[in-house]
Amino acid sequence: MTDFLSPTGFSAASHLVLVIAAPLVGAVVAWLLRARGLPAVRQSAAVTAIVTLALAAWLVLRFLAAPPPPGAAFAAIDAPWLTGGVFDVRLSLGLDGLSLWMFGLSALLSVTAVFVSWQAITDRPVGFYVLLLVLEAAMLGVFAARDVILFYVFFEFTLVPLFFLIGIWGHEERRKAAAKFFVYTLAGSLLTFLGLLVIVLWNASQSGVVTFDIQGLTDSLAAHPLPMSAAGGWLQMVVFLALLAGFAVKVPIVPVHTWLPLAHVEAPTGGSVDLAGVLLKIGIYGFLRFSLPMLPEATAVAAPWLFGLGALGIVYGALVALVQTDLKRLVAYSSVSHMGYVVMGLFALTPVAVEGANLQLVNHGLASAGLFALVGMIYERFHTRSIPNLGGVAAKAPWLAAMFVLFTFSSIGLPGLNGFVGEFMILAGSFQRAWSGVAPAWQTFYLAMSLCGVAGVVLGAWYMLWAVERVLFGPSREPPRGAAQSHAVGHGGHASHGVHGGHVGPGDLAHAGHGHEAPVERCDLAWHEWAALAPLAVFVLWIGLVPATFLAPVSPAVRAAATDSAAAFAARMDALQPPAQVARIP
Amino acid sequence: MPATSLETFVLVAPEIALVGAALVAYLGGAFLGLRHGWLVALAGIAAAAMLGGCQAVDGAVTASGGVVVDAFSTFVRQVVLALGALVALVQAGDVFQAAATRGPGVHRGGTCEEAGTFVLLLAGLSLVACAGDLVLLFAGLELVSIPTYVLLGLKRIDGRGQEAALKYFFLSLVASALFLYAVVCLYGIGGSTNLQHIATRLRASDGSTGMALALVPAALGLAAVGAAFRLAAVPMHFYAPDVYEGTGPGNAALLSTLPKVAGLVVLARLVALGIAPAVGPDAGSVGPAAAAHLDLAWQLIAILAAVTMTVGNVMALWQRNLRRLLACSSIAHSGYLLVGVAVAAAAAATRAAPAPPQAAGGDLATLWTGALGGMSAALYYLATYAPATIGVFGAVAYLGHRWPQWASGDGPRPPREEISTVDDLDGLAGTNPVAAFAIAVFLLSLAGIPPLPGFWGKLSLAASALEVDWTVPLAAGGRRTWFVGLAIVLAVNAAIAAAYYLRIIAAMYFKSSRRGVQSDGGLAAGIAMLACLVIVAAVTVRPSSLFAWATLAGDAVSGAMPAATTSVPPSSTLDVTAVTH
Repeated sequence: MTDFLSPTGFSAASHLVLVIAAPLVGAVVAWLLRARGLPAVRQSAAVTAIVTLALAAWLVLRFLAAPPPPGAAFAAIDAPWLTGGVFDVRLSLGLDGLSLWMFGLSALLSVTAVFVSWQAITDRPVGFYVLLLVLEAAMLGVFAARDVILFYVFFEFTLVPLFFLIGIWGHEERRKAAAKFFVYTLAGSLLTFLGLLVIVLWNASQSGVVTFDIQGLTDSLAAHPLPMSAAGGWLQMVVFLALLAGFAVKVPIVPVHTWLPLAHVEAPTGGSVDLAGVLLKIGIYGFLRFSLPMLPEATAVAAPWLFGLGALGIVYGALVALVQTDLKRLVAYSSVSHMGYVVMGLFALTPVAVEGANLQLVNHGLASAGLFALVGMIYERFHTRSIPNLGGVAAKAPWLAAMFVLFTFSSIGLPGLNGFVGEFMILAGSFQRAWSGVAPAWQTFYLAMSLCGVAGVVLGAWYMLWAVERVLFGPSREPPRGAAQSHAVGHGGHASHGVHGGHVGPGDLAHAGHGHEAPVERCDLAWHEWAALAPLAVFVLWIGLVPATFLAPVSPAVRAAATDSAAAFAARMDALQPPAQVARIP
Repeated sequence: MPATSLETFVLVAPEIALVGAALVAYLGGAFLGLRHGWLVALAGIAAAAMLGGCQAVDGAVTASGGVVVDAFSTFVRQVVLALGALVALVQAGDVFQAAATRGPGVHRGGTCEEAGTFVLLLAGLSLVACAGDLVLLFAGLELVSIPTYVLLGLKRIDGRGQEAALKYFFLSLVASALFLYAVVCLYGIGGSTNLQHIATRLRASDGSTGMALALVPAALGLAAVGAAFRLAAVPMHFYAPDVYEGTGPGNAALLSTLPKVAGLVVLARLVALGIAPAVGPDAGSVGPAAAAHLDLAWQLIAILAAVTMTVGNVMALWQRNLRRLLACSSIAHSGYLLVGVAVAAAAAATRAAPAPPQAAGGDLATLWTGALGGMSAALYYLATYAPATIGVFGAVAYLGHRWPQWASGDGPRPPREEISTVDDLDGLAGTNPVAAFAIAVFLLSLAGIPPLPGFWGKLSLAASALEVDWTVPLAAGGRRTWFVGLAIVLAVNAAIAAAYYLRIIAAMYFKSSRRGVQSDGGLAAGIAMLACLVIVAAVTVRPSSLFAWATLAGDAVSGAMPAATTSVPPSSTLDVTAVTH
C-alpha cells in the first residue's frame, strides 16, 4: 500500500541527502539568475523552497510508513570526513523520532520565510535568497546529523547566514544586533563543543572505541556513564554545564536571553521566521539529544533548577512582553516566555511533559513564525511596529487580522489549536511531577513553579489579546503608505516610497495610499502572504484537532530520550526520602 | 657523531636549490637586467619542493652531519615551501604597490634583490626544519632573521616603516642573543652540539648535579623567549602591531606565518630533548633531569599559551588599523599553537615520569599516553591557520588603494590612500565582491567557524588539550585541570576573536561607501588570495589528508628523538591501553 512512497532505486538515504542538498542547488540557481533581476531570483527561491518542502514531506511520509526501531535511524547514510589520529568524524545523516518534526518544520518555515520576503526584500535580493536557502540547508542538517561534530558544524554554521541576513537586511540597529547575536551564541556553543569532545574522549577511554556517532555514544555511555562523584571530579556535571552554556543561550533560558529581543527586532522578517521557528529549537533539541540521554545523573541534579528557570522565564517573558510598545519586540518576548514552557516541560522529566515539550517545539515554531510574519506584513503596510501608532488594522485588512487572531490564539493556547495541546501536556506533566514525583522537600517548589506556568498562560492571554485589541481593532491610526519597495534600513528610504500604490492584492485597491480621506483603505493579504501563512494555519489546526498524528509516531523516541534521566531523578528523590513515601511515576 | 659527507648534501638539496635560486635572482638582477625576480623565486621554490618530495620517506629518519630528515622535517619543509610560494605572490604584488606609491615616474628596481632575499629566508627556514645540531639550528634561525631585516628595510616607505624595520632588527638581535645563551646551556648539559647527544645525556642524568637545578631551566626559559619572539608570543609579542603596521601587507603576511614555523620547530626540538626514543638501545629510559625538564616545559608553555591568546585577542578588540588588528590576531593564534606544544610536553612528561600517575578511582587507572599528540595538533593548526592569514594579507595587498576623495574644481590632486584601517574596507562587498567574499571566508576560518579549516585546527587542539590525563579525575591543581582550563581559555578566546573578525566582515558587508577600491595591488597578490581560497576550500571539504600528514610529522618529533634510521610506526588508531614502560 505504501509502495508508491518508496520507489525502487530511490533509497531513503539518498532521499535525505537530496532534501538537504536541494536548497544548496537552489541557492546556486538563484545566484546564476542574478542578472535576471528580482522576480527571477525570488521565483527560483520559492520553487526551491517548495520543492524542498515537497521532498521533505515525502520523506516524512516514508518515515511514517516504515518507522525505524528505537535506537536506529531512518535513511541512515555515512561517509568518513576527518578520520585519522583519534578522530573518526563522519558525514553521517539520518532521522529518528526526535528529529522528525523539527526536520519537517525547517522545510515548512523556509517556504514561509521566502514568501514573507517577497516584497520586503528588494535590495540585493540575490544575496538574501542565497543566504536564506543556505540557512535552510544548515537547519535541515542540524536535525539530520548523527555525528557529534557534524551536528556541531551545522549548529554553528547556522549562525553565519543569519548573521548576514540580520546585518545586511535588518533594521536600524542591525549591525549591533548581528554581532551580539553571533558572539553571544558562539561563546556559549564553544563550551558546548568542549563538552561534546569530553564526552567522546571519555567514551573512548572507557570503551576503547573511538566513535563520534551520537547513537553509539548514547548506547555506550549507558554502560560507562561519566563519573558523578567527587572521586571522578564531578565530570558529568561539568560536561552538563558545558553543554548547558551553549544550549541555554540558544533556547534562550532566561538569564542569557538578552540577545534574542534585539536580534528579532532587527532581523528582516524572513530571518525572524527562521530564527524563532527553528533556530531556538536547536537548543532544546540539543538537550533532548545529548544532555538527557547521555548525562542522566547530572540532568537529575540540574532538573529542578532548570525547571525553575523555565517557570521564571515564562513569567518574566510575559511581564516584559506586557509593557512593550513595539509589536515585534512583544512577540520576541512572548518567544522567551513560551520557550520557558518547553524548558519546564523538558526538565519536569515526566513522559507526558517531555512529549508535550517536544510537541510544543513544533507548536511554538508555527505560532511564532506566523506572528513574526504577520508583524512583518503589518510593518510593510504601515511602516511602524509601534503599538500606540497602530490601530484598526482589521478594518483595512480583515484577513490579515483573522490570521493574526488565529496565531495569537495558537500562541496563548486556545483549546482546539495546537498551542493548547502542548501547554496542557507540559502543565499536566509538571503538576504530575509536583504532586507525586518529588520528595516533599521539593514539593512546594515544584508546585509553585507549576503555578507560575499557569500564571504564564493567563499573562500570555493578557498581553497577546491586549496587543490584538490595540493593533487590530479600535480607531484607525496610521494610513497605509504603500508597500515597502526597499527594505527600511535607515538609508532614508522611507521617504522615497511615499504615496504610490502598494503591493496590495491584485484585485484590491491600486490606489491605496492616495486619498487619506477615504474611510477604509483595503490592503489585505496578497497571494504570496497567503502562501506564507496558509500552510502554517493548516498545521495549527491539524495539531490542535488531531494531536495524535504528531504525538504517536515520535512518542517512543522522545520517551526513550528521557527515560534514563527520569530514572536518575527518581533515584535522587528516593535518596532524599524514605522510598515508601515517594510514589513513583510509572 | 655522523660525519658530514656527500649524503649530507643530498639531504640539504632543497636548501641548495633555494640558495641557487637566490644567487640567480641576485646576479641576474644586478648584471643581466633580469626583471622577473619573483618568477625565479617561484621556480626555486618549486624545485626545492620537488627535491624535498623525493626525500620524503614516511617514518624513516635519515641523519647525516647534523642534518635530520624525518617525517617532521619533511612536513615542515613542504609546508614552508607552500607558504613561501603564497607569500612570494603576495610580496610580488606588494612590490607593484610600493612602486605605485612612489609614482609612475620613479624607477624602482630591486625586485630581484627582494626575491632573492626572500628565497634565502626560505632556505634558512628549511634548514631550521631539518637541523639536528644546535649550530645548524642557530645558523638556520639567523638565515631567517637577517633576510627579514632586509625585506623590512627594503619596504620602508615612510617613518613608520623605518621604525618597524629598526624595532624588528633590535628585538630580533636580543632574541637571538638569548637563544644563543640557551644554546650554551644546552651545550653545557650535553657536552655536544648535537641534539641527539644532548638528549642522551639529559635522559641519562639523575638530576643530582647542578645540571638539573640550573642549566635545564635556564636553557628552557631562554630558548622559550627566543622562540616566543619568532612566534610573536608573550613575552616577546609587543613588537608585532607596530611592525605590521609599519610595513606592507606582503611583509605582514611573511611575519605572521614563516617565523612562527621557526619558533614552533625550536620549541618542538626543545621538548623532544626529554623524550625517550620509542625503540633503540636506550628506549624508554628517562632520568629525573629530563623529567624535570619536561614538567617545567609544559607548565611554562601552558602559561605562555593562555596569556598569549588572551593578550592577543584582547589587544585586537581595540585596533582600528587593519594590519595592527591582524598582528594582534596573529599573536593570539600563536597562543593557540602553544597549546599544542604544551600538550606535547605534558605527554612526554607522562612517559618520562618514573611511575604512571595512579588514578584515585581504581577503575580509571589506564595510563594516558598522549595518543592524539599535541605536536600534531599544533602542526595541523599551523597549516590551517597560515593559508587563511596569508589570504587576508594577499587580499589587502591586491586591493591596494582606495579611490581618493575627489574635490571639485581644479585643486591639487588628492593623495592616494592605502587601505590601512578597518573602515577602509567599508562597503567592499559592493565594490569588489570577490575579494570581500574571500576575506570573509578567511576571517571566518580564523575565527574557527565550522566547517572551515580553522575549525578543524581548533578541534584538534581542543581535543588534544582535553585528552591530557583523561583517565585521571578532575582535581584541583591537577595537570588535567590545567589543561581543561587551557581548553576553556581557548574556547573563550575563540569567542572574543569572533567579535573583531566580525567587525571587519560587518564593515565589508553591512556598511556602504561611495569610494571604491582601486584593486591596483598587482595580479600576483590576487592570485595568492585565490590560491589561499582554493586551499581553504579543499581543507574544508577534505580535512583528513592534511591531518594524517601532520599526525605523522607530530609523532615523528614527539614520539621519539630522531635516531639514525629509526622507523616510527604511524599511529593511525587510538591506543588507549598501551603503556610505554
